[in-house]
Amino acid sequence: MAIGALACGAALLVAACGGGSSSGGASSGGSIRGQTITVMVPYDMPQKLLNQFTAQTGVKVNYVKLGWDATHTKLVTANAAHEYIADVAEFDWSFTGQFAGAGWVEPLDTALPKPLLNNLKNTDAAFTANGHTWAACYSNDFRVSMYNKKMFAKAGISSFPATFDELATDVQKLKAAGVQYPLAIPMGATEGGVTPWYLLTLAMGGQLFDDNLKPVFQSPSSSGYKALQWEVDALKNGWVSPGAVSLDDTPTFDKFTAGQNAIVLATGPGNMPTANDPKTSSIAGDAALGLVPGTSGPGASFGLPEGLSIPVTAKHKEAAAAFIEWWEQPKNAIAIYHTQGSLPCGSDALKQLAASGQLQGGDVVNAELPHVAPLFPAGAPIWYEQFSSDAQGLLNAAVKGQMSVGDALNQLAAKAAAHNQ
Amino acid sequence: MRLWRQGEGDRSAREAQILGWLFVVPAVAVVGALILYPLVTGFKQSIRSGGFLFGEKPGYVGLRNYRDVIHDPTSQSAMRHTVEYVLVAVSLEILLGIAVAVTLHRVFRGRGFVLAVLILPWALPSVVSGVLWRRVFDPDNGMLNSVLLQLHVISQPHVWLASGRGAIIYITLVHVWGVLPLISLIFLAGLQSIPEEVYSASAVDGAGPWRQFRYVTLPLLRPSVAIALTVGTLLAISIFDEIYVLNGTALNTRSILIQVYNTTFVTADFAHGTALAFLLAAVTAAFGAIYALALRRATV
Repeated sequence: MAIGALACGAALLVAACGGGSSSGGASSGGSIRGQTITVMVPYDMPQKLLNQFTAQTGVKVNYVKLGWDATHTKLVTANAAHEYIADVAEFDWSFTGQFAGAGWVEPLDTALPKPLLNNLKNTDAAFTANGHTWAACYSNDFRVSMYNKKMFAKAGISSFPATFDELATDVQKLKAAGVQYPLAIPMGATEGGVTPWYLLTLAMGGQLFDDNLKPVFQSPSSSGYKALQWEVDALKNGWVSPGAVSLDDTPTFDKFTAGQNAIVLATGPGNMPTANDPKTSSIAGDAALGLVPGTSGPGASFGLPEGLSIPVTAKHKEAAAAFIEWWEQPKNAIAIYHTQGSLPCGSDALKQLAASGQLQGGDVVNAELPHVAPLFPAGAPIWYEQFSSDAQGLLNAAVKGQMSVGDALNQLAAKAAAHNQ
Repeated sequence: MRLWRQGEGDRSAREAQILGWLFVVPAVAVVGALILYPLVTGFKQSIRSGGFLFGEKPGYVGLRNYRDVIHDPTSQSAMRHTVEYVLVAVSLEILLGIAVAVTLHRVFRGRGFVLAVLILPWALPSVVSGVLWRRVFDPDNGMLNSVLLQLHVISQPHVWLASGRGAIIYITLVHVWGVLPLISLIFLAGLQSIPEEVYSASAVDGAGPWRQFRYVTLPLLRPSVAIALTVGTLLAISIFDEIYVLNGTALNTRSILIQVYNTTFVTADFAHGTALAFLLAAVTAAFGAIYALALRRATV
């Protein structure tokens, strides 16, 4: 009730506060020493590392860790009201269209040094819109599969399945070996619940949209249709727990690390340290990465990189840029990877990690990278959040059996087409 | 002498009036700043183009946003669900609230302890109670499935929040669990205000316990019923936390307030979100006014 009342009240308040003009532009020159910046990111950061930044630059950091979902809501609320929220803020790939379109963040093309931006080129497309780069990638997240080696060995399976046919066979073997629900797939009405559908669509050789952003998933012969049908069948066949229809990705992963499932079909490589940490996982040492299965071999995957941005309402934009620059230095990016699991985006840091053998599941990560593509090659459209919100409700209704796969996808396609007009 | 006294009286009345204004002005200023200003500017937002993010020209569009949200199928189903939440929740709260209050009105050993325990669910934040109940409804490891499986009532785990109407009823039960203590206390206070002599007189006239309840207790509880209806309805209309924690933004249980949240803060469509919020506010205000009138009639 409290959140509800706040949501309603806040809807009115935000409307009341909005309407002012944004400040725009970087702050005037001068020393950044002595300034304090607020950094809002949904992952932990050791104070020791932040102290190093302060020692180097004289800038103090007020580091605010928020839940991922809460981050988007808070940013949208503050930005729409043109209120200060942070100097450096989280910027997920899915924000690109919405935030760039609304002019809520500063372009980083001129704020950051060219060599640094060149070093991030591999993930740059996800944060590019209207000819500008709006965020500097810090988490090179993409979808990859994870499995429990011990359960596989018990079922007599020697390697991770490369195709969906092999996956079906292995799931039966795992069930025969006593794993009640071998697959862990979140299917709740959340962003994490629609990600597996995106992945399966790509892995089955298709796309969600054509070059003109016209939906191509409503035909029964399309990969998108087959992907959702596959999810519904996985539930019906008892491959996935019936409770998956109410689960987001984090509780789904928790069930995997609790030893309840043998395979997480779609997760991030950054989750490896968590899955193999005895403090957080009861399957520590048994978790391994596998390439996302496909129709005739490893399938396509897609990136969900996260970046750092400078809101137009930031108070200390030069200090914010200095912080981003510091984070992206290979030495720091690698240290952060070890503490929060965010796989670096910079090619220098990635090379150093691979060369030193510090990359957990490094061989699979390296093998998966060539299959990774952005979900929207031209950057997430301005209406992505609306599409995602529609997809969350409709796909969830389909897996719950409240509407057919065809009806859900036809409605979703109609809504996407309307947004795109 | 008389004139002097009258002049003193006028001055004193004037001072009292000024003092009254001095007390009222800060409250009026705060209410004006925090409620009236957002209401007015919010209303202006709700009649402006909502698609500035999506390439629309900013400008006033009249009541178009209101028409859009009224005709939107997702908003319509959220409205239907909200009506269902309100009907089920308020009915259960009134019936159970009276039953609990009548039981607790009797003096018995441990009554104080029972009262203290009764208030606990109300004291819990609704997000916390949602998290607790998620453990009950969890299809894989939940308490409910575990008990029913052991008792052989069900043969396989049931997904409680997957069905349409069933899920709404289960979520409403969680809501009622949290609100019932407050409603019960409202009725208990009402019962305690009924003079014992009325019962004694009716007993002399030959009324048994049921006739006393029907013809004495219920009519004299009307003011409490009006208050309980107001509180219960307003809380049920604004149901959010329990749904969000138990079933997220799933279409089968989405309430109007979750639709407001989704429209405004997820898709950043502030105009349509604000329009929906204003419609909800209008309905809530209408219920409040109706119940306030009913309460006035019951007490005058």
